[in-house]
Amino acid sequence: MALPIYATTGQRIWHYFYMAFCIFVLFFLVAPLVAVIPLSFTATPFLNFTPEMLSLDPDAFSVRWYKSLFGMCGDVEDVASTMCHNKWMTGAGRSLYYALISTVLATFLGTLAALGLSSEHMPAKRPIMALMISPLIVPLIITAAGMAFFFAKVNLSNTDAGIILAYTILGMPFVVITVTSTLVGFDRSLMRAGANLGGTPAYNFFKIQMPLIAPGMISGALFAFITAFDEIVIILFIGGPDQHTLPRQMWSGIRQEISPTILSAATILVLFSVVLLTTLELLRRRSERLRGITPH
Amino acid sequence: MKSTLKLTLLASVVAVTTAAQAEVNIVSWGGAYTASQQKAYQATYKDPDSINFINYNGGLGEVRTQVESGNVTWDIVDVLPHEARVGCDEGLFEELDRSAFAPAPDGTAMDDDIMVEVPNDCVVPQIFWSYVPFYQEGTFKGEQPTTIADFFNVKKFPGKRGIHTWPNALIEMALLADGVAVKDVYKVMSTDAGIDRAFKMLDKIKDHAVFWSSGAKPLELVQSGEVAMSLAYNGRIGAAVLSEGAKFVTVWDGQVLEEEWLVMVKGAPNRDAAMDFLVHASTTESQAEQAKYINYGPMRSSAFEVMKKGEPWFHNGKTIMEHMPNRPEVMARSVVANPEWWADYGDSIGERYTAWMGQ
Amino acid sequence: MSAAPETVSGPLITADGIPLKESLQKSLRRSKIRAALLVAPPLLFLIFLFVIPIGNMLTRSVDDKLINQVLPNTFEAFESWDKVSEPDESMFEAIYQDLKAADKTDIGKASVRMNYAKPGWRSLIKRTARRIKKMEPPYKEAFLKADDRWTDNEYWLSLGIMKDKRTLGYYLNAVDRTYDFDKNVIHVDEERKVYNLLWWRTIQVSIIVTLACLLLAYPVAYLLATLPMRIANLLMICVLMPFWTSLLVRIVAWMIMLQQNGVVNDTLVAAGILSDENRLAMMYNFNGTVIVMTQILLPFMILPIFSVMKTIPPSYMKAAQNLGATPTLAFIRVYMPQTIPGIGAGCILVFIVAIGYYITPELVGGKDGRLIGNMVAYHMQRSLNWGLAAAMGTILLIVILIFYWIYDKIIGIDNMKMG
Repeated sequence: MALPIYATTGQRIWHYFYMAFCIFVLFFLVAPLVAVIPLSFTATPFLNFTPEMLSLDPDAFSVRWYKSLFGMCGDVEDVASTMCHNKWMTGAGRSLYYALISTVLATFLGTLAALGLSSEHMPAKRPIMALMISPLIVPLIITAAGMAFFFAKVNLSNTDAGIILAYTILGMPFVVITVTSTLVGFDRSLMRAGANLGGTPAYNFFKIQMPLIAPGMISGALFAFITAFDEIVIILFIGGPDQHTLPRQMWSGIRQEISPTILSAATILVLFSVVLLTTLELLRRRSERLRGITPH
Repeated sequence: MKSTLKLTLLASVVAVTTAAQAEVNIVSWGGAYTASQQKAYQATYKDPDSINFINYNGGLGEVRTQVESGNVTWDIVDVLPHEARVGCDEGLFEELDRSAFAPAPDGTAMDDDIMVEVPNDCVVPQIFWSYVPFYQEGTFKGEQPTTIADFFNVKKFPGKRGIHTWPNALIEMALLADGVAVKDVYKVMSTDAGIDRAFKMLDKIKDHAVFWSSGAKPLELVQSGEVAMSLAYNGRIGAAVLSEGAKFVTVWDGQVLEEEWLVMVKGAPNRDAAMDFLVHASTTESQAEQAKYINYGPMRSSAFEVMKKGEPWFHNGKTIMEHMPNRPEVMARSVVANPEWWADYGDSIGERYTAWMGQ
Repeated sequence: MSAAPETVSGPLITADGIPLKESLQKSLRRSKIRAALLVAPPLLFLIFLFVIPIGNMLTRSVDDKLINQVLPNTFEAFESWDKVSEPDESMFEAIYQDLKAADKTDIGKASVRMNYAKPGWRSLIKRTARRIKKMEPPYKEAFLKADDRWTDNEYWLSLGIMKDKRTLGYYLNAVDRTYDFDKNVIHVDEERKVYNLLWWRTIQVSIIVTLACLLLAYPVAYLLATLPMRIANLLMICVLMPFWTSLLVRIVAWMIMLQQNGVVNDTLVAAGILSDENRLAMMYNFNGTVIVMTQILLPFMILPIFSVMKTIPPSYMKAAQNLGATPTLAFIRVYMPQTIPGIGAGCILVFIVAIGYYITPELVGGKDGRLIGNMVAYHMQRSLNWGLAAAMGTILLIVILIFYWIYDKIIGIDNMKMG
């Protein structure tokens, strides 16, 4: 992408314009997330940068919103006071619980589907694949509406079980996609070789296939996890007051009063996503190495 | 509307006490509102440990499921006016013996003491809340807004107006501002010409309108000066003034009041205990007690006598009367929302209002 | 070649004596069954918890059974009425029989349905039903005593709209049309037209967002595809980070940036570009929805274009330039056509996701930035007009499935890549 030394003035201008444009786009993608971080340390209950903050006055910064996030908010005796929320931590616990269980289920079911669908002899492969992916395509509002009626009928609405099942549905397509794509490079003769050498099908699966699709399973599981952890539409439709998850707490925070507590939560979630992203990148590299694809 | 109120109430935080071995399950909206009920009714009850509060998101869905399946676990539910009527009509609530309830100190029977006509025999009085206009001290120089007509008059009182994204209360207010008498509001609203008239009034603030859909937003809008005046829930304004020292001025003219009732679920498992608690929760004293903790107005007019004598009544030592939406002085210029009218015309007016907003 | 092998004469036989063809078929069948058995549990799970619930909900968009079950006699009497004269005693007796026999909850539900056909039915039915136990013939008189609106023929005439067990009324409603009393399709009153505007706005927003994403994504994807791996990977994190961050966090972040007292307005005012009174309205309106949705959906556009660009050998461009094309011409004539699959994939993906959006417009849409998804939610949760919500949902779903089908035809679903 470097500019050759023989470039004309016009080419130079174009090149710098182009670079500036790309930087703008990347900035557009990341800037809002970065802006959240300093603002979460504000000392005021308002959501804008005060002049004191801009002049880096240490008094303008505080960790009070982190304290309130972690439920250390002192006296809440005054019932009319609406400043302190301690539903953040219980909400995060709920979200974690739903996300973990649904991820395990989604990974198991999604891997089964991917294994079956990547067999060359699977009948009606394409339509079934399309159906398995469709929860990603159908708008959540429609899925949520359908589930709301159905779950009410079978007594699953306002229950933990109902939410876990719903999140499993949402997570499954990710696992199907990621595991299928690791299977694309899979050499089936390895399994036949294993069988020839006397391995049982189960033994061969765990010894040969499993290590190869594991990166796909894990990255699919990560997608499923983050989807469930961040899910807001379904929970609004089928969750009762007892199913108060972190996104729901954020939702009511945004709709009601945006106190900077939500920013401290946001900051932690942004850092969380950076960690996840790094994990994923490492997994991808491992998968490529294992499948013998050298990075270009 | 339901969900907005729910969120309004959920927003505030109070841990709900879960008493072990609770006998009577009472279901309410959570937040500051439930907390005020716990302090006013549960804490003053002869056996506080027998009462267990549960939160819900409103609606009759759960009640219907319980009654139809015969597996009733809720005893008492706090409901909005529309649900109070539908639930009783459909046999989801118990009809209660009205003579069991305590009369006012002067001997007036409870139903006659309630400030609105009692819609059926299922309901037990709770509170009134309202939609009301307000502004921040110092917003206007010279003459200050005092009537609902002033809210719709951007020439006399320039500046933006905060209004909500659904038509309830706004139609009534627009007609009041146009000079319709309080008692004629729903008569006028039942004609097409009346609705046109209301929208014509709304047109006057259309270009100055900032729309809100959550209870805290109007306070933010007025506080930051983004709008000069806004409609809001009276509970929100009062809480800001009473507990946080905000300098808000409420225009007590042309407000629209909404009712809040307690009902007993049909086939409630602890019928007698629940009835006993309902009797306790609806006495003049209990009703007045609730106003110590939240600025919603008691439904029984006799409660006002108690509060007036006890001023400063609010728990932090401030006076409360001027924050009561249904105190006698302002009732003459207030409309009590008619849930039957809104059940009939809510959908069609809702569509028209949405179209009006989006134009 | 003197002695012919024995096996040539008969079919090929495997070691255990079964003809090879048969044995192969058997093993093929076995692997088919094995594949099907693997797919069966997740597929059934999906069908029971996803396909059936959605299908079930969609049937509500045409369902009008309940009212016919609650008021069978009334509809029978309605058929023999001349639609002009004042309803007579037989009609009142029919509706009396129906209301008396029906379950209270069903009467409630029916009255809600009737209210869609003619506002006012709800309170009319309820008020009457409250007195039904004490009524005695003549019923006409008793009904009029309960509510004098019973003489208004419009209520009776509106029954004609509801007499069939299936209705298209909700679909008509979803496109600003309705039935008149003779079941002719007519436009609704001008001031009540909402839905066509919303459909149009939804399509508008989806197209603008798709185009904006394309415009922003293409140069960045090109940069990522041509930069050295190490730097590209670093920049890729910028692209993926929003993808991996909670949706609500991103929305809050944008609120801080774009609101009236937000970072962008403050900066512009501080820089003297804007005066304090003329702060830009970028949030809680159409602009807010477009800006935020563009940022949220941008990775969906960058990734497919990037992965296609990755596969284009740089030698093509060099060859074209060697043959005398200017760099610009080479780019347009040689490079760009090869990226079309990526552009197609990205555009369809972004469009499909945008058209069904709900959360973002709900929070940042304000008065004119809300989309059809918000209306579906409104009718699901607030107005409880589930028939209408289902009808709008069905239309939306059909549009999306058409694009999904196109996507599958052109790109293939199995080529969908994540991250």
